[in-house]
Amino acid sequence: MHADQAEFQDFLSLSSVVTGFTAFQLQGTGQAESYFSTLIDILGEATVAALLQVFRRVQRETGEDAAALDRLLRAAIFSDEKLGPIARNLIKLWYVGTWYPLPAAWREAFGELEKDTTFVVSPAAYTEGLLWPAIGANPAGAKGPGYGTWSAPPRIPEV
Amino acid sequence: MSNTTLGKPHRSDPADVSSSIYDVVIVGAGVSGAIIANELSQTGFRVLILEAGPGHDLTIPGYEQYLSRFYASASKDNNAPYPRNRNAPMPRSTDVRRLQPGEPDASGYIVQNGPLALDSTYTRVVGGTTMHWEGKALRMLPEDFEMRTRFGRGLDWPISYEQLAPYYRKAEFELGVSADVEDQAYHGIRFDPGYVYPMRGIPASYLDKTVARGLNGAEVTLRGEKFALTVRGTPQARNGVPNPRYDGGKGYVPVGAVSVEQVEQGERCQGNNNCVPICPVQAKYHAGKTLVKALATGRVKLLPQAVASKVVIDPGNGRVRHIEFKAYSDPGSTEHATGIARGRVFVLAANAVENARLMLASDLPGTSNLVGRNLMDHPFLLTWGLMPEITGTLRGTQSTSGIQDLRGGAFRRHQAAFAVSIHNDGWSWATGSPYSVLADIVDRQNQFGAALRRRLVDQVSRQLQLAFMVELLPDQNNRVTVDARYTDPLGNLRPVISYGLSDYTLDGIAYSRRLSRLIFQRLGVEDHTTYDPLDYAYVSYKGEGYTVRGGNHWAGTHIMGTSAKDSVVDGAQRSWDHENLYLVGAGSMPTTGTSNTTLTLSALSFLTAERIRGELDQDRSPATIAAA
Repeated sequence: MHADQAEFQDFLSLSSVVTGFTAFQLQGTGQAESYFSTLIDILGEATVAALLQVFRRVQRETGEDAAALDRLLRAAIFSDEKLGPIARNLIKLWYVGTWYPLPAAWREAFGELEKDTTFVVSPAAYTEGLLWPAIGANPAGAKGPGYGTWSAPPRIPEV
Repeated sequence: MSNTTLGKPHRSDPADVSSSIYDVVIVGAGVSGAIIANELSQTGFRVLILEAGPGHDLTIPGYEQYLSRFYASASKDNNAPYPRNRNAPMPRSTDVRRLQPGEPDASGYIVQNGPLALDSTYTRVVGGTTMHWEGKALRMLPEDFEMRTRFGRGLDWPISYEQLAPYYRKAEFELGVSADVEDQAYHGIRFDPGYVYPMRGIPASYLDKTVARGLNGAEVTLRGEKFALTVRGTPQARNGVPNPRYDGGKGYVPVGAVSVEQVEQGERCQGNNNCVPICPVQAKYHAGKTLVKALATGRVKLLPQAVASKVVIDPGNGRVRHIEFKAYSDPGSTEHATGIARGRVFVLAANAVENARLMLASDLPGTSNLVGRNLMDHPFLLTWGLMPEITGTLRGTQSTSGIQDLRGGAFRRHQAAFAVSIHNDGWSWATGSPYSVLADIVDRQNQFGAALRRRLVDQVSRQLQLAFMVELLPDQNNRVTVDARYTDPLGNLRPVISYGLSDYTLDGIAYSRRLSRLIFQRLGVEDHTTYDPLDYAYVSYKGEGYTVRGGNHWAGTHIMGTSAKDSVVDGAQRSWDHENLYLVGAGSMPTTGTSNTTLTLSALSFLTAERIRGELDQDRSPATIAAA
């Protein structure tokens, strides 16, 4: 488990911004701590700390301005050769519970990481993926919505 | 309502088995083997079932190990829930690669000899491939049994639709089929007056209904014949609402999850959208449901982790003397003991590929030399696009409706018939959606946050995928063989398959693509179908390219017919060459039309069980003949 509660809160805030789900919803999946430690496990504490540090700066500089946040996140994180692929992987981790290997160019530039392979974090990481609620569906194979529900129009949450 | 309950399966050790003589020895604990074991044990006969795969007890925790493995697997292919087992390996679609002409690919369990790579699979565990089957339970058309006579194509069956009909009824009961009989009488399919399916039809999805609104009544012309298209509910072997009119008003009680403890689960489909590769609540039929009834008689022994390795024949009279098997105690180790299974009657129920493999490995190609030949499957052509409105994806069972109007017709003189399924799980099969869509939006479309969510809905929840299941006729060049160069870790010969598509089938595939364009045009669907020339299953035909997926409907490797010269088994699936041997399953089918094979092979299993019972009844004296 992580030592620094503040850092975990920053992880949650970053996760919320990149996934489009509230921190409350993310906590509700029960996966936040597991994903945070997975990230540290794969990338090391220093890299995760660097990512969160940049995110804190972006947040400080943009305040409540959503358009500015979007612009600055793209400038400082998504288009950063080291942090961009990590942020994109973090989105996929939240959406389908799966870590996908970082791009070859990343590994060439920043080094191979032993645990950077394709894996599902846990059985629950799959069923708690954000992809399913995002499209108004259940994860295939779990949380069946009940007999005949599929006959009615889908209920997809507004964003 | 109570579910089937029972104690642990009656297990036996190999030495124990070898010292007994059973009335019936069955190879394979899948649906055919389970039905035959149940039918015969219920009337007092002693049955041994050899199962190559591990026999996790038929318990909820045992079943949930499969489910958990599926959740945790990055690849969600149709064998993902079932552990790899070196001693009884199984094909996986993820093993298939593009073939180079003249170079067999032996990297997966099945050695692919080409010309086309086939990604069909089967499952070697207790319950067999019904663990991962989708559960579509369509009867074959009467004309499918008379292809040679009616259309000058393929082969005739030695039995007719009318002769099989009573066994279809038994199969629909055993598998628990949900359908409305009034929707299913088309192209000559006849039901007895007053017949209803055990359960009412599974409700159509919202997607089905939207497609039906735009499509029903559309007319197409094929070789001068006019067909009006109708979106029709698909009969499915999964639990729905029991029909009170079933069995003359007696009704029907759905069979839920199997377990040693009383559980209430699986008596209704919940819409988990995961029929393939595993229904989490066992609302979908699997052979374990039949097997527990057989085991409960106390007359059935199930010996798991026992791979049949040789059928041993008495050279004097051609009868099977015994079946040799290799029993392993640890799936991780090839250490094993060889045992023999003795009985009065022997039944190979291991599936079309494994039945042929075992016969050929035993050097028994048959008088007709047809063992392994006429290998069939259902080639699938997938087409996909985006509906003009949000219709919802990944909801309900994987498919609830289809278009069956081109399953039959005079055009079958010239080109293959086909059935069409509307997929509720979107483009999963064709493109790996929704994972592929997520990756595309994040990595290529550079979206995150709310914009990502909106794009996901726009690009996933409007998906329509049509699956065209195309007829493939028997062809002696499509076949299973064995080759001493290819063995598995226990030393058993592996199946080598040769597989290609005839122009008859390719014309059906080409027409399927044309029809899908007409359907998309009519519905205003944005066509996203593309076939990658580098795909292992890419074929070019008359100037267009197609990707043709396997249907997992292995059939035809020991076809039935009218004599030892034209076939391997008779109309009751008995070997012409070995009078106490039955080869059962889709391998016996001389043609498969456009029906998923399980319902028909289940019907055949009931027919065969009746025949075996008749033979055993004639000779009630204890089995001494096989002991020689």
